[in-house]
Amino acid sequence: MIATTPSDVTPVWLTNRSTKEVVDAELWHGIVDKNLADWEAEWIPDLQRRLKLLNQQKVERRFWPQSRHWDWRDKLREIERRLANLSFALVADGMTQAMMTIDLTKRARLTDHEGQHLVYIDFLEAAPWNRNDLAEEPAKFSGSGSILINAAIQQSILEGFKGRIGLHSLPQSNNFYANACGMTDLGQDTNYENLRYFELDPDSARSFIEKGKGE
Amino acid sequence: MTFEITKEWCRKAGARDAGFDIGAGLIAADPMFTHEGGADDSPEASRLALGRFISLMRRNQGLSIEDLAQKADIEIGDLFSLENNAAHLPDARTLYQLSEVFGVSQEKLMGLSGLTHSNDDHYVDEAVRYAAKSASVEVLSNEEQSILNGFISVLSENGKSK
Repeated sequence: MIATTPSDVTPVWLTNRSTKEVVDAELWHGIVDKNLADWEAEWIPDLQRRLKLLNQQKVERRFWPQSRHWDWRDKLREIERRLANLSFALVADGMTQAMMTIDLTKRARLTDHEGQHLVYIDFLEAAPWNRNDLAEEPAKFSGSGSILINAAIQQSILEGFKGRIGLHSLPQSNNFYANACGMTDLGQDTNYENLRYFELDPDSARSFIEKGKGE
Repeated sequence: MTFEITKEWCRKAGARDAGFDIGAGLIAADPMFTHEGGADDSPEASRLALGRFISLMRRNQGLSIEDLAQKADIEIGDLFSLENNAAHLPDARTLYQLSEVFGVSQEKLMGLSGLTHSNDDHYVDEAVRYAAKSASVEVLSNEEQSILNGFISVLSENGKSK
């Protein structure tokens, strides 16, 4: 049974790409039924419209967004009874702007941290209108990626994992995790569809959390 | 427990993130990605073969997803995910019900799904090859019918496994 209200709400802010203004947003601790309704009623039709544009532009399918088949209801159903899996949603303008699920059972691969617990990000996705890989329309909001990474780090600290996080990046997002987040690229993972695996150690996690404060 | 994330931090994050895409997680096995490497030997490849087999059998019997779900007494969503999402791990009951309807080996369907592993998994490789040969069209072509027959042969209780 998917919950109807999040367990907690952290106030956050997203940036409107066209006005450059920050807008009030909320980080919901727990993806709830409203988020899945937004995904079904708003994300999917918008994604399909943008895929149609890509197709009309004769963009090869292998360059279309790889996450276009993701079924968030299915993902939530898989983890809803597992205590070691958590989820988060970003909401602004009354609409779900991004979602993330995490797994607390995975272990670190970085040489100096190998075998230590970390927060593994199972899935992270922005709403179609916040993405850059979908046709020519500019993204509406930015900041959701960093805010969700921040949340994963803070959850890692809460769990006693010292901020360690790991994830497999979709190909079009490698630059974000390597350059914007400062995560270590451990290369292609042949056991994971050849996606690149990225990890953040405690020092880099602390640096990421402090980036906005200290600069 | 809530987190502490300041407005100034978010403002800088917004400026920093602009232009980046942020997706992370298993691709969820679209057939087109298998040629990009890494998927052929993964459980996703055999699950993809399972999904393709179920789709072919369903269409061969002229059934919609809803019809087959009703006939096999399984969830429509589960069946849809089985056919379309190779990351979806079906439960044993679903595979048992489908094996009964299709008259093939439950054990081999379990092996294809990744729920079980046997010492002799040659049929998995064969099933993946049959899946790779099939193409998605509304009505089964003669070629697809031939592929489906091969599938059935491989996945039957007494089907070839060496």
